[in-house]
Amino acid sequence: MRLALKELRRRPGRFTVATIILTLIAILLMFLGGLLDGLIASSTGAIRAQAADAIVYSDTAQASFVRSRIEPDVRAEVEGVGGVTEVGGIGNVQLGARVPGNGPRDLASVALFGYELAPDGVPEPPPYGQAWADETIKASGVEEGMTIEVGPARTPIEIVGFVSDTNFNGQSSLWASPDTWRDALAANRPDAQLGPGVFQALVVRGDDSDLTTAIDEATGGATDSYTIDGAVAAIPGVTEQQNTFNQIIGVTVAIALVVIGLFFALLTVERTSLYGVLKAIGAKSSTIFGGLVVQAVVVTGIAAAIAGALVVVLDLVIPPGSIPLLVTPGRIIVSVVLLLAAAVLGCTFSLRRVLRIDPASAIGTTS
Amino acid sequence: MFLAFKEMARAKVRFALLIASIALLVFLILFQQSLQNGLITGFIGAIREQNAPVLVYSVDGQRVLQGSVITPRMEAQVRAAPGVGDVGPIGQGTFTGQPSGGSDGDTFDTTLIGYELGPDGGGIGAPTNLVEGRLPTADDEAVVSDADVRLGFGIGETVTLLPGGKQIAVVGVAEDAQLNVAPTLFVSYETYLDAIRSVNPDAGTPLPNVLGVVPAAGSTPDEVVASINEQSLELDALTRDDAAAKTPGVAQVQQSFNIIFLLYGLVVPCVTGLFFLIVTFQKANSLTLLRAIGAPAGRLVSSLLIQVVFIIGVGLLVGALLYFPVSQQTLGGIPLRFETAAVVFWSVLLLSLGVLSSLFAARRVLRIDPIEATTGQGVGA
Repeated sequence: MRLALKELRRRPGRFTVATIILTLIAILLMFLGGLLDGLIASSTGAIRAQAADAIVYSDTAQASFVRSRIEPDVRAEVEGVGGVTEVGGIGNVQLGARVPGNGPRDLASVALFGYELAPDGVPEPPPYGQAWADETIKASGVEEGMTIEVGPARTPIEIVGFVSDTNFNGQSSLWASPDTWRDALAANRPDAQLGPGVFQALVVRGDDSDLTTAIDEATGGATDSYTIDGAVAAIPGVTEQQNTFNQIIGVTVAIALVVIGLFFALLTVERTSLYGVLKAIGAKSSTIFGGLVVQAVVVTGIAAAIAGALVVVLDLVIPPGSIPLLVTPGRIIVSVVLLLAAAVLGCTFSLRRVLRIDPASAIGTTS
Repeated sequence: MFLAFKEMARAKVRFALLIASIALLVFLILFQQSLQNGLITGFIGAIREQNAPVLVYSVDGQRVLQGSVITPRMEAQVRAAPGVGDVGPIGQGTFTGQPSGGSDGDTFDTTLIGYELGPDGGGIGAPTNLVEGRLPTADDEAVVSDADVRLGFGIGETVTLLPGGKQIAVVGVAEDAQLNVAPTLFVSYETYLDAIRSVNPDAGTPLPNVLGVVPAAGSTPDEVVASINEQSLELDALTRDDAAAKTPGVAQVQQSFNIIFLLYGLVVPCVTGLFFLIVTFQKANSLTLLRAIGAPAGRLVSSLLIQVVFIIGVGLLVGALLYFPVSQQTLGGIPLRFETAAVVFWSVLLLSLGVLSSLFAARRVLRIDPIEATTGQGVGA
């Protein structure tokens, strides 16, 4: 092992190109992962933030707020389900917001939520005409105390504070009272307005382990209930995005494995006679193979460290609102672990060759 | 050439690994190219494939069809703008649709695009590229996008909107006319209004989402766009191509994929260059000996280049073969397509970059001095 590390120290040039290739692959892995995380986070924050056990839509809504309608009588049925402790109405409308100081054509995209039960990190509903805003809206110049105008009806909403990680469909969320939301919906989207007491969905808290089934049975199938995780997965495109990106990431890891395998197989061929000498003076195959693994792990570790730093820089450089990149320590760690696993596995291509080296070959060789 | 192929035959594993890595990279690049094109076509195909040369959004709509609302005052401003010819309202909504041709009563997010029917169904906003059937000529008839047929939206089928139970008959199929990667029905404007009323009894009368504009004789779409936008800061007129390209999300998708393509594109020549450089180092003594017994440097270099072209060529072929069956699939509602132009483009680019990267190895070969055969030194010295 010391020999392997010594070679890395004394002849770093030999490993430079492999390190560059692995750095590119590591950047790819982290960028793809960051893109996936960014897409999912910006689409699902408002649902993930719900401090609840179930979200209830109407039966034909396909887990879409705008296509869901929960009438007061259905809500009463849900409230009567055994194990249900709290029920709150929720709804949203996606609009453009005019921000003071911005150009007349420079609008911010917002998803205005009306809510009764406060999500995690969001305070209780503010008074009429006010809203908590997701902090991502700051990129559009919105500040606390500012009044923005939403929708073609220019409904005024005063921003009273900021919350985090609550975006929905890639838009900054605003959290307001049900009345604020209902009036903004009617004024700006007359085709989607809802009557008094009607909500798009219900947020339910309870202590039944199978709350969603109990609710749907109690309403006679008039509702379509999801756990929070289920509601996140049911957002159109989320599962498809995750599957597609994970497949691409998987093939990229496979490429890393093949590249590492190729590189160290070539190095092993180059050193066959040297390994023969090492074996002749008593080195075990496991020691030689261990050295290869150490070199692969170190090279991969260096590449991953460079890539991690570059991806963080990329994240800082990309302007808000362009590429939805979200770089998290978790994603970087997962990428590094995958690459290191690929490095160790890649080295096994060389194992057979190392085992086949005959110490006798050391006799008579010139190098 | 004999030498090049003989060497590859003797070191199958090494060269096979290189081919495998190139093939996987090519496969990924081509697959993602199809994914990008499929995603964008599914996302904004209906805008690109409708017949209005100019679309007018409200600024509030932020270039999203469903988000835009055109008030009567805004419509009057558009009609009054110089260069404007015919104007037609276009409405768009998303519903839960159940096609009669679907299995087990499957329901889908279904987009309705309503436009005022003209003669033979060809009003402003009608789909342009009909591949089967006919345009709607009456209410409750629809043209669907070709990608939706496999979901049970074929001609002769009926789509039921839920709740409310409004039924729409499919009478035609248009190519690449999806919106929001969901089944898309082009219907009469009245059908669209009825659909909204049927699913939401509380709904007020919807206003048009956008206006389709045909320039008057002698005016170009660009001139009409400028003319309309001068009327009001609340109007956002765009040519058809701009409306498609500037839909939120399209540019981000393209930027993201461009970064991914750049990185994959860099890996291929790096891997190829590294491989042949190492192999050249390993063959140092043999190459020196060959030079010493009279082999010209050009022959050794051409042998190297033959290997490079062969390896990348096989990698491209295997990658394209892997890509072919995948490109016939539908991924999460996105129909993929075999992109011949992409295959040709990436083949030429990767082959060129691969050959370029192998020039480092070729340079080493050219620097061999035959005299070193007598001193024990070679290209690796």
